[in-house]
Amino acid sequence: MGAEEAWLLAAIPAGVFFVLAIFGRALPRGGDYLGVAAILSSFVLFFVVLADFLDTPGKIGPVINDVEWSNIGESFDLRMGIYIDPITITMFAVITTVALMVNIFSIGYMKGEPRYYWFFAVLQLFAASMLMLVMADNLLLVYISWELVGVCSFLLIGFYWEKRSATEAAKKAFVTTRVGDVGLLIGIIMLWKATGTFNIQEIIHLVEEGHVGQTYLFAAVAFVFLGCMGKSAQVPFHVWLPDAMEGPTPVSALIHAATMVVAGVYLTARLLPIFEYADGALLMVTIVGLITALLTGFIALAQTDIKKVLAYSTVGQLGFMFVALGAGQPAVAMFHLMTHAFFKALLFLGSGSVIHATHHNQEMDKLGGLWKKMPITGTTFFIGSLALAGIPPLAGFWSKDEIFVVLNEEWGIWAVALLGLSAVMTAFYTTRLFIRTFMGKPMDQHVHDHTHESGLVMTGPLMFLAFLAVTAGFVVFHGVGKGLGFPGGMTEFIFLPHHGPHKYHFDAAWALASVVMGGTGLLAAGWMYWGNSTAKSTQLAESQPGIYDLLRNKFYFDELYQAAIDRGMLGFSYVVSWFDRYVVNDTGVDGSAQVTGFSGGVLKYLQTGRLPNYAMAVAMGVLALAVVGLVVRG
Amino acid sequence: MVPLENLLVLSAIMFSLGVYGVLARRNAVLILMSVELMLNAVSLNFVAFAAYLDPDKVLGAVFAVFIITVAAAEVGLALAIVIRLFRNRATSNVDEAAIMKW
Amino acid sequence: MTFDEGQGYVVLATIAVPLLTALVLVFIPGNQKMAVRYISAVTGAILAGLSIYIFTAYQLDGADAQMRLRWVWVENTAFLGENGISLNLAVDGISGLLALLTGVVAFAGALASWKLDFRNKDFYILYWALLAGVYGTFFSYDLFFFFFFYELAVMPLYLLIGVWGSTRKEYGAAKLTLMLVGGSVLIWIGIFAVFHEANLGTFDMEKLWAAGRDGTLSPEFQKVFFPFMAVGCGVLAALWPFHTWSPDGHMSAPTAVSMVHAGVLMKLGAFGIIRLGIQMMPEGAEFWMPTLMVLGVVGAVYGATAALTQRDFKLISGYSSVSHMGYVLMGLATMNQIGITGAVLQMYSHGVMTALVFLMIGALYDQAHTRDMKDFGGIAKVMPLWVIFYGIAGLANVGLPGFSGFTAEFHIFVGTFKSYPVFGALAIFAAALAAAYMLRMFAIVFFGPFNARWSDLKDLTPLERLSGGMLIASIVIMGVWWAPFTDRVGQTVTLLPGVTG
Repeated sequence: MGAEEAWLLAAIPAGVFFVLAIFGRALPRGGDYLGVAAILSSFVLFFVVLADFLDTPGKIGPVINDVEWSNIGESFDLRMGIYIDPITITMFAVITTVALMVNIFSIGYMKGEPRYYWFFAVLQLFAASMLMLVMADNLLLVYISWELVGVCSFLLIGFYWEKRSATEAAKKAFVTTRVGDVGLLIGIIMLWKATGTFNIQEIIHLVEEGHVGQTYLFAAVAFVFLGCMGKSAQVPFHVWLPDAMEGPTPVSALIHAATMVVAGVYLTARLLPIFEYADGALLMVTIVGLITALLTGFIALAQTDIKKVLAYSTVGQLGFMFVALGAGQPAVAMFHLMTHAFFKALLFLGSGSVIHATHHNQEMDKLGGLWKKMPITGTTFFIGSLALAGIPPLAGFWSKDEIFVVLNEEWGIWAVALLGLSAVMTAFYTTRLFIRTFMGKPMDQHVHDHTHESGLVMTGPLMFLAFLAVTAGFVVFHGVGKGLGFPGGMTEFIFLPHHGPHKYHFDAAWALASVVMGGTGLLAAGWMYWGNSTAKSTQLAESQPGIYDLLRNKFYFDELYQAAIDRGMLGFSYVVSWFDRYVVNDTGVDGSAQVTGFSGGVLKYLQTGRLPNYAMAVAMGVLALAVVGLVVRG
Repeated sequence: MVPLENLLVLSAIMFSLGVYGVLARRNAVLILMSVELMLNAVSLNFVAFAAYLDPDKVLGAVFAVFIITVAAAEVGLALAIVIRLFRNRATSNVDEAAIMKW
Repeated sequence: MTFDEGQGYVVLATIAVPLLTALVLVFIPGNQKMAVRYISAVTGAILAGLSIYIFTAYQLDGADAQMRLRWVWVENTAFLGENGISLNLAVDGISGLLALLTGVVAFAGALASWKLDFRNKDFYILYWALLAGVYGTFFSYDLFFFFFFYELAVMPLYLLIGVWGSTRKEYGAAKLTLMLVGGSVLIWIGIFAVFHEANLGTFDMEKLWAAGRDGTLSPEFQKVFFPFMAVGCGVLAALWPFHTWSPDGHMSAPTAVSMVHAGVLMKLGAFGIIRLGIQMMPEGAEFWMPTLMVLGVVGAVYGATAALTQRDFKLISGYSSVSHMGYVLMGLATMNQIGITGAVLQMYSHGVMTALVFLMIGALYDQAHTRDMKDFGGIAKVMPLWVIFYGIAGLANVGLPGFSGFTAEFHIFVGTFKSYPVFGALAIFAAALAAAYMLRMFAIVFFGPFNARWSDLKDLTPLERLSGGMLIASIVIMGVWWAPFTDRVGQTVTLLPGVTG
C-alpha cells in the first residue's frame, strides 16, 4: 500500500454512492453507516498516502501515469493519471477530514428528513469527485470532476426541492458556474491547441520552455480563470453562493465552504506556473480577489441570515486566497485554504447545530442568548469566530497574516490596505454574528425556550473541528512541520520557480498590524451590539438609508442579473422563437407551400374537363412541334 | 403503280378530316370515328412507305396490323364508356360529360 | 461459406428481419393485438442482439469495410456495366456504431409502443418497414440501394405521424414528409449527376468514392453538386434553416416514432453527408465545409436559444435536437479526425438520449394528456423514477461528464477549436444554454410545490423501465468508457479523404 493506491480514495466513495443510490432506500437507517465508513476509509487511506509521501521526500509527481483512455489515430491520444504533490496532499487532508466530520454530523442533523439515504449517497459522490479533481494529472479529468462536483452541488442545494426557493437556488448555482465553465473549457482546449496535451505537468513544462505566445497564453489563462471564478464564486459570479445556503447546512459546510468552492483556488494554484508566465495574469488574479474580498465584506455587514453572513464571509475568504495566489505564493493560499476549511466548516456546522436546535430558525432577529442553552455549540462557534476574525493564536491569524506579508512583498502597501479593510469588516461581522446569536438577551423568547443542545453526534465533529481551528495554523512553523514529519513549515515546500519558497518567520510588526485589524473590527462590533442590542446599529442604518439599502440588497447584483437575463437572454430567446415561428416556418416553409397551392389554384382552371379542349391542346402541341422541327432543320 | 405522292395526299386528307372531326364534333361516337380515321391515315402511310421503300420486308404492314389491333381494342373500350355515359346521362355529347375538372 | 460471408448474412438479417416481421404482421388478424406486440418485442430483441453483435464483432486493425455481402441485381445491360446495381452490404466503424444505436432505439421504441391500442398491427408494419430502411441505408455500399432504403425509411413517417400522432398531426406529418422529400429530390439529382459524371456504369459506392478521390469527378463538378448532397441530406439532419419540420414533427409524432425519428432517422441525414458528401466529393467538401460550419453553429446556438422559452416538452426537445444536430454538422465541417469522430459520437449520443427523453415525455403524456410545462410542478413526488430517468437524459443533453453527451461534445469542441476557434467558443457557449433550458424545465416540472391535480400519476411501468434502462446503459457506457467507440469510429474516420489529423 502506498501512494499508488490513491485512486482508492475516490473509488470507495464512488462505489458506495452506487450502492446507496440504488439500494439505500431498502437499507436500515438509509445506509448512513456505509457513507461514514466510505469516508472513513478514504480518511485512513489518506494517511497511507501521506506516510508513503513522507517516507520518500523526493516523491513529488505522478504516481499513476499514462493510463490509456482513448485515441483517434495519432492525433488525439488521451491518457489519464494521478499526480500527487503537496498541493494534492493538502487538499486530501481538507477534503477527507471535513467530509468525515460532515458525514458524522449529518447523521444527527438530517435525522428524520425525507430522502435521508439520497443525501448520504450524493455526499459520497461528491467526495469521490472532489478527490478525483485534486489528484487528476490532466485537465480533461479535472474538467470531468469539476462538472461532477457541480452536479452534486446542484443536487444537494436542491435537496429540499419542494421549496421553490431551493430549486431556484440550485438552478442558479449550476447555471452560474456553468457560465464560468464555458470559459474553463475554452481555456483548456486553447492550452491543448498550443501544447497538444492535456497533461498539466507537460503543459507547464512546454509553457516554461516558451512554446506558447504571450497574448495567446494570457487569453487561455484568463479563460481558465473564468472557470475558477465561477466555481469559487468570485465577483461577478458570487451571486450563486449565498443562495446556495438553501441546501442542508452540512452541505453548506462541506461543499460551499470547505471543498468545492475552493476548487477554483486549487486549480489556479495548480496552474500558477502558467499564470506566472502570462504577463498580467497574476495581477488579474489579485484584483479579482481584492474586489471580491472588499465587496462581500461590505455586503455581509447588513445581512441578518446567519448562513448568508457566513456565505459572504466564505466568498470574501476565497478572495483572500486568490490574493495570495496573485502574489505568486500558492503555498500561502493553500495554507489559508486549509485553515479556512476547518474554521469555516466549524462555523457552518455550528450554525447547523443552532438551526437544528431552534427548529430551522436562521434569522438573527429571532436568536440571541443561546450560549447558555448550547454551551458546546456556543464555545466552539466562539473559537471559530475568533479564528475567522484573525485573532492570535488561532489558525486564521497565521494564514491571514501570511497573506498580508506576501501581498506586501509582491504588490505593495496599497493592496494590503484594501485587503486590511476587508479583514476589519470580517472581524466586525463575525463578532456581530456571534453576539447576535449567542449573547445578550434572546430576541424571540418562544424560540429561545424550545432550544436545547445538540447530541454528541453533532457536537463531536464541532469539537474536533474547533481543535483544528485552534491548532491548524501552527503547521506554518518550521519546527512544527519537522516534528510532524514534513520537510518543513507548510509554506516552504510549495512554490513557484520564479518566486521561490516562502519561509515563515515571525515578524512582530505584521503580527501587530494583523491583530489591530482583527481587534478593530471586533471591538467596534462589540461596542455596537453588546448585549444583543440593535439600537446603535438601527440608528446608524437610519442615518444612512442609501448605503444601508445598497448593502442590504447586495449592491443589487441579483436584480441586475435578473434584468439582464429577462431582458437580454430570454428576450433574445423570444425573438428567436418568434423568428423561427413566423419568419422561417410560417413565411419560409408554409409560404412556399402556399405559393405552390396558389399556383395550383390558378392553373387548375386549365383542366376544363371538356374533351375538345384537350384535343385542341394536343393538336396545337403537334403543330408547334412540327413548326419547331421545321425551323430547326430549316 | 400509284405514285407515292397520291397516297400521301390521301393520307393527309384523311388525317385532317379526323383532326377536324375530333375538334369540331360533340358526339362521342363521332369523335371516336374521327380518331379511327386518323389511325387509318397513319396505317395508310405505313403501308405506302413500306411498299415503296422496302418492298421485300413488310415492316410497315406489320405496324398497320398492330394499329388495327390497338384500334379494335380502343373502340371496344371507348364504346363501352360511351354506353355507360349514355345510360347515366341520356346523352353522348362530350360537353355534358365535363365533370372531370377542378 | 467463409466466416466473413457468414457475417455478411448477419448484416443482411438486420434488413431482412424487420421486413419479414412486417410481412408476417400483414397476415395476422388485426384484433390479435397481443400477438402483434409479442412478435414486435421479439423482433426488437433480435435486432438489438444483431446490432450489438455487429458492433462488437467489427474488428479493429482489420479492413475498413467488413462483413461484406454482395448480391448482384442488374449488371451488364443498357447503361450498366459490371456490378451495375447490386445489394452490396458492408459495415465500417461509423455504420457499426449507428447500427448499435438503431438496435437499441428500435427495441426500446417497440417496447414503448406496447400500450398502443389503435390499429397497432398497422403501426408495427410501418415501424418495421421504416427500420429495415434505416439499417439498409447504414449498410448499403451501393448508391442505388442507399437511396432506395433511405426513401423506405422516410416514407412510413407520413402515415405513422398522420394516423397515430397528436397535436396538428396532419400538418406536422405533411410538412415533415414534404420537406424530407424535397431533400430526397436533391439527393436523387446528385446521385444521377455522379453516376453520369463518373461514367463507370456502376452504382458501387466504393468505385464512385475512388472516382471522387482520383479526379474522375472533377473539382468543378464536385463544387457544384456537393450542395445537392449536403442540403438534401441536411434537411433530414435538421440543417438550419431547413429544420422547422423538427419541432412540429416531433410535437405531432407518437412516442415511438419520435424516439426512432429523433433517435435514428435524423442521423441518416448526417450519415448521408459523410457517405455522399465527404467520401464521394472530397474536393467539394473542402470547398463547402466552411459554409456548413456556419450553418451548424447557427443551428446549435439558434436551437438552444429558441428552446429557452418554450413551454411544450416536445418543442424543447425538438429545438434541442436542432441544436445538437448543429453540433453534428459542426463536427463534420471541421474536416479533421477529432471533429468528425465527435460528430459520429454525437449522432449516437444524441440518438440514445433523445430517445430516452421522448420515451419519458410519452410516459407522462399518456397519463396527463398535456405537455404544457406550466401545468406541472413537483412531479418528483409521484413519479420519482420518471424524474431520475428524465434527469439523466437531461444531464446527458447538457453535456455532463459521465454521460455520452460529454464524450461527443468534447470531441466536437476540440475538433472545432482546432480549425475554427471562434465557432468552437460559440458552441461551448451554446452548451451552457443547454444547461439553462434543461434546468429551467427541471425546476418547473420536477421540483417546486406539488400540484395536487397530478396525485394520480403512476410511475414508470416495468416495460418503460426496461427500455429506459437500456437507453441509460447506452448513455453511461459511452460516457464512462470511450475507447470502444472512439477506436471503431476513429479507424474509419482516419481513412476519410481530405480529413486532416
